[in-house]
Amino acid sequence: MNVLIIEDEKALAQELEIFLTNYNYKCEVCFNGKSASEKIATNLYDFILIDLGLPDYEGLDLLKEAKKTNTEAACIILTARAEVYDRIKGLDLGADDYLPKPFSLLELQSRMQAITRRKFGLKHNVVELNGFIINLTDRTICYETTEVSAITKKEFDLIAYLILHKNRTLTRMQLSEHIWGSIINNDYDSNFIDAHVKNIRKKLNIYAQPDWLETVRGLGYKIKING
Amino acid sequence: MKLETKLTLFNTLSKLVIVVLFVLLLPSLIKNINQNFTDSKLRKQKNKLLQIIKSSGVNDQVYATYSPLKEEYYSLDEDSIDEKLDTIKNEPRKIEGDTIQYRILSYNFVVKHKNYLLEIGKSVDTIGETTSPLQNIAFAILIGMVLLTLLVDQLYTGYVLRPLNLIIRTKLIGRKFPNFGSYVEVKTTTSDFKYLDISIHKMVETIEETFQKEREFISNASHEIMTPISILQSKIENMFAEEDIADELKVRLLEMQKILNRLKSITKTLLLISQIENEQFLKEDKITVAAMLNDVYEEISIRLQDKNINYELAVPQNWVFVHINKFLMFNLFFNLVNNATKYNRKNGSIKITGTQENNLFVISVIDTGIGIDAIDIPFIFNRFKKFRQSLQEDSFGLGLPIVKSIAVFHHIEIDVKSEKDAGTTFKLVFPAALIEIAS
Repeated sequence: MNVLIIEDEKALAQELEIFLTNYNYKCEVCFNGKSASEKIATNLYDFILIDLGLPDYEGLDLLKEAKKTNTEAACIILTARAEVYDRIKGLDLGADDYLPKPFSLLELQSRMQAITRRKFGLKHNVVELNGFIINLTDRTICYETTEVSAITKKEFDLIAYLILHKNRTLTRMQLSEHIWGSIINNDYDSNFIDAHVKNIRKKLNIYAQPDWLETVRGLGYKIKING
Repeated sequence: MKLETKLTLFNTLSKLVIVVLFVLLLPSLIKNINQNFTDSKLRKQKNKLLQIIKSSGVNDQVYATYSPLKEEYYSLDEDSIDEKLDTIKNEPRKIEGDTIQYRILSYNFVVKHKNYLLEIGKSVDTIGETTSPLQNIAFAILIGMVLLTLLVDQLYTGYVLRPLNLIIRTKLIGRKFPNFGSYVEVKTTTSDFKYLDISIHKMVETIEETFQKEREFISNASHEIMTPISILQSKIENMFAEEDIADELKVRLLEMQKILNRLKSITKTLLLISQIENEQFLKEDKITVAAMLNDVYEEISIRLQDKNINYELAVPQNWVFVHINKFLMFNLFFNLVNNATKYNRKNGSIKITGTQENNLFVISVIDTGIGIDAIDIPFIFNRFKKFRQSLQEDSFGLGLPIVKSIAVFHHIEIDVKSEKDAGTTFKLVFPAALIEIAS
């Protein structure tokens, strides 16, 4: 999939490119609004990531242009501006999502994945792990034919996030940011991820040992999927 | 008390005092005037009589007479005693069996080696008979004048104070901080009010400017801080995913990530508080109270499990939040319940109750935790304030400041009661406009 990254902070643009390339996206990078405007007018993209705080261009104007010429593209706004109205305006103008800086790259990928699923209606969204069938669209887990019903929403979120970033160690911090990200929290402890994982293991252990859910000592957790 | 009321009260009272004084003084005043008048009349009569005596001799004049109603009395007689009288006195005289009090002028003079005594008298009753009508007229005029001046005073104070009332009504009362609107001059010829008006305007301008600057600062600072944090976070995340990095190094990266996360959380929280204080949020959401508190429970349940804390919800099912910001309200309750969990004991409990007090709705979050020292309670809402009991916990000291600013934004009052080692109650008093009772 083709991604246009419009971000005037070169260091950040670079990290975005490295990260998305690792996830098999084809990236193009623009550091200013003018060149971005040209690219939007001439090329077709699947994703356009727009930073609102460009020095030479009003980011929301780029969004309008993209909506005209790149009708298929999903636009995600990235911004460090604090105004709540920006968010409303951006979404009103047809942005598909809005990520306030600083955001986790994993979160960005998760949002892009969600948009892809929504836009292209991915049907094949079922993962099989040692007898466990995890359906990410219906948000269900089955062991062979019986459904594991005890899994809570939060626990499923955790599993889905680990599956999305399969074979990659996610730290407790990254997981808790995904799970409690929208809450303005007073503390920075992420130990409750352990409690969640413990619960998940306990619930799945009734059927079979979920050894695909690995603890990476001192770092975090990962789900191993071969192939 | 309003200035106008005070002035009116003072005017009325001072005039009342004058009236009372005048009423008290009037009889003696009139009496005095009457007496002086009578005395000078008596003297004039004396002079006239002496003139007559001079021209026509004494003999014809020696007699005593009085008017038919005995109001006046006159006598000229030889005097046996050698004295030099020239007095005016009140003295009784017996005329035809009646003893009447007279005001009498007595005068001695000598004609052809003979002493004569002249007496002219006027009955005291006749002198006094004008007193009471005079008094009445004077009193009536006085009352009339007092009423008139009161009315005029009242109208004038009203007129003079109108600009002040206008300033108070339009510029001080009902002004919504920090949206002051534009400056409208209050028309007045009173320089004091002009000065007041301009001073208020200048103050408002300064406040607005400061606010604007703070807003700009927040916006700029957030942009300038959030972007570098974003870059660092991305770099660490990318490094973390690289396969050729040793686990030992990854642990250190994790430490960095933790610290960065702390910086991020603090910045985000401070920003949120500033945004709330700048009224950048809408209050248009509607949600049942129980539903919101269940959401809070969902989010927090893992923490409750950890300490085996019982979460009891006793808020009426038909209570509905209206005109609130859902995101903020959720965070308010989340932070309160989170604290109630964090500072609770094992196997403790958290109870959330809803009661109606008069017109107001009260939602209380009651825990069985370690409690707060009484001397600390006034400071718990201060930013970055940490207390002994909270030091063991990972906390920035921003949870309650968020709660406070969200509460202020929604005009919710917070009352904290705590007993050491027994528990704390956060009582939230909601204005009637924020909660509806669904039928």
